[in-house]
Amino acid sequence: MSEIVRLQLIGLSVVGVGILALLFIRGTFIRVVGFVAIILGLFTLVSLSIPQMASLPPIEEKFDIATVKTPTDMATIGQKIFFSKGQCALCHTIGPSESARCPDLKGIGAKLSREFLYESLTNPQAYIYQDYRVEGMAKEYPATMPYINKNPIGLSRNEILAVIAFLQQMSGEPISIAVSELGTPEPAPVVPAQKAAESSPVAVAQAH
Amino acid sequence: MLVMAAGLLSLPALAFGADATPPAPVEYRDVPYVGSRNVIWVIAQLHLLLAGFVLGVPLFAWICEVVGWKGGEKRYDKLAKEFTKLLTSAYSTTALFGAILLFLLIGFYPKLMNYLSDIFFPSFIVYCILFLLETATLYLYWYGWDTMQDGGKKTFHIFLGFLLNFFAFFIMIIPNSWATFQSSPVVLAEGSDIARAWAATWNPTWWPVNIHRIIANVVLGGYICGAYAGIRYLSSKTPEERSHYDWMGYVGNFIGVFGLLSLPFAGYWLMREIYQYNQQMGITLMGGFLSWLFILQAMLIGVLFLGSNYYFWIGMTYRIPGSDLKYKKQMLAMLVALLVCLGIWMTPHSLVASMEEARKMGGSHHPLLGVFGVMSAKMTVANLMILVTFMSFIMYWRAGKQETAGWATAAKVFMGLVLAVSAIAVIVLGVWGYFVPAIIRINYFSTSQVLVVLGVMLTITPLTSILLKSAKTTSEMVWGVMPPRAGYSLVLNAIMIILLMTLMGYARSSSRVHWHVYGVLRDTSQYAYSPALGYASGIMALCTFLFCMIVAFIFWVATMGDKAKTPAVASKAGLPHGLPAMAGGSNALDEPKTSKF
Repeated sequence: MSEIVRLQLIGLSVVGVGILALLFIRGTFIRVVGFVAIILGLFTLVSLSIPQMASLPPIEEKFDIATVKTPTDMATIGQKIFFSKGQCALCHTIGPSESARCPDLKGIGAKLSREFLYESLTNPQAYIYQDYRVEGMAKEYPATMPYINKNPIGLSRNEILAVIAFLQQMSGEPISIAVSELGTPEPAPVVPAQKAAESSPVAVAQAH
Repeated sequence: MLVMAAGLLSLPALAFGADATPPAPVEYRDVPYVGSRNVIWVIAQLHLLLAGFVLGVPLFAWICEVVGWKGGEKRYDKLAKEFTKLLTSAYSTTALFGAILLFLLIGFYPKLMNYLSDIFFPSFIVYCILFLLETATLYLYWYGWDTMQDGGKKTFHIFLGFLLNFFAFFIMIIPNSWATFQSSPVVLAEGSDIARAWAATWNPTWWPVNIHRIIANVVLGGYICGAYAGIRYLSSKTPEERSHYDWMGYVGNFIGVFGLLSLPFAGYWLMREIYQYNQQMGITLMGGFLSWLFILQAMLIGVLFLGSNYYFWIGMTYRIPGSDLKYKKQMLAMLVALLVCLGIWMTPHSLVASMEEARKMGGSHHPLLGVFGVMSAKMTVANLMILVTFMSFIMYWRAGKQETAGWATAAKVFMGLVLAVSAIAVIVLGVWGYFVPAIIRINYFSTSQVLVVLGVMLTITPLTSILLKSAKTTSEMVWGVMPPRAGYSLVLNAIMIILLMTLMGYARSSSRVHWHVYGVLRDTSQYAYSPALGYASGIMALCTFLFCMIVAFIFWVATMGDKAKTPAVASKAGLPHGLPAMAGGSNALDEPKTSKF
């Protein structure tokens, strides 16, 4: 019996007990408790009837340089990072979309140099923090681009280069990053924050 | 209760690392079978709900005391006292759960608690001092009630009530800073302990949460008062008791609705700040794995709006003779409007469909319903529901009264126009929102909708208040004649608001995903995942049930001594009325009329 079925049975039982209390008990308090049980049971049953999605912590993906033989391999890894650990697709689209909150990245690899892309990811406030699509003075975006090399996303240099390779490939541009540019993977960027939390009274929070 | 009992009983069996090898500092401890997170979840939620109760009740009691003091109606003072009596036992129960929570947090999450203590220690001290001040003020406020009834003493007592709420407010916002820092931490520069604590306290979501919670506490206090009155009404034996608890239920519902109308605005501000702070977190909440949670939220808020309006409508039907026929069409129109709005609000953005169904629809978005699943539609109907409820509120307030001011007709036409124009404006902005970029819609259109509705409330409320000051009562309010379903609707409203609080607690906590402190301190325990809504709703229902039982126990203990006494009868006001009666009330009421139970 799956967990959902078990919970549904519990919910149904609670509703049943509530109905019985309302039907057969005369004491006001118990009747009210029965009424509350019906509401809570129904709430649980409705909650169980919608899609059940748990949020699992991301698996620590390792960037294995040994598997990267060509720039295309790098772009393939970059694509995975773009849609998973990098969380780029949460805000950006590739191609126009009515619901896009952030710039459309279609063809971005052809429009911008790799240096500019790297800076945009690691120092996003340098240029891109205003919206010029409105009339008059540029407005600030409701949310600014996060620092991709810092927590909570915390991509390593290799991972950022792979994402840039993907953006270039997706834009039909030749990939300008050589495999030899990839360095030895650094330790996961989460560790310093944890160590700091353990050892130092006040860590420098680097969110946002 | 079983979860708590199992959790507490199994504490000795915790995995303390044991053995001889000494070792890396313990980061987490667990409870077998139940799980440390579930125990913390239940205890923290109960503490938070009790805290909301003990902060909401003094606010509620103080408002009633001030209304009684200014308007000269003693029954408001009596009601305020009746609820303040609860505070002594409720306060200690809350503190008890706070202490249990603290010990469990230190035991289960030592690394996190060490981290937070290092940052916030100065505010712990302030918190303790505030508790001492709050406790002393509460003793003076409660034990001095009867001796501080006249003249300057009463003014001082009102001041004590203000102080009680003043300290309570700071008692609320200090822990808020700890919790909001976990969601929206800021860069902490080097500096003194106090400077760092202060910087961490002023994080981006601190004030939005403070405002949201203070309003929610008023709503909770009001609806719990209503539910208590509803239960007592159902079990009343005499007409006097029925009159008293009927009236108490109406005051509770009135205050609950009053807060409820402004609550969505505070929620909108909080959500906007979350997006401003971190778009990913906002998207996790509104478009990610928590998006379905907001369908449940819409359902609960919708039922709450329906329940509150329903109570108003049956109040008009039964308590104010003649109003049932006068307002029947309006009530029906408002019911239809509320149901349509609720249907749109609950429409999901993407539908649960099989592959075949999705292929027929041309994707997961239904060609027609998909239009209602977007934020533009939801913001519009949420604002319309507030407007409809506000209309109910004003109708109830004005029912049974005849305005005598010379400018009454002009004022009524003006109010009607304001309502109609604002409803049209909200709809136009909502439809227009489909054709502009999301940024424009969020920054300008949605904000404008909120401001329009807020403007309506801020215009019509004082205008009605002034208008009714000189109004004459045409139909005396008859208390104690409501049908039993009125009592149940008050209980339903209270359950909805408690469930909403538990649901949004889960949302706030889950929006941090696998972080204790978002982006800074990662959750590396086995409970780093957020459970699905079905499982979570089971815990929420359990917390709601336990909280209701605890509150029922507190009420039972606090009123145990009253049982031997004669039930209180609402007494007629003896002083001139300085204030108009609360919504639906009459300044000349209170002779309990016949009840037809």
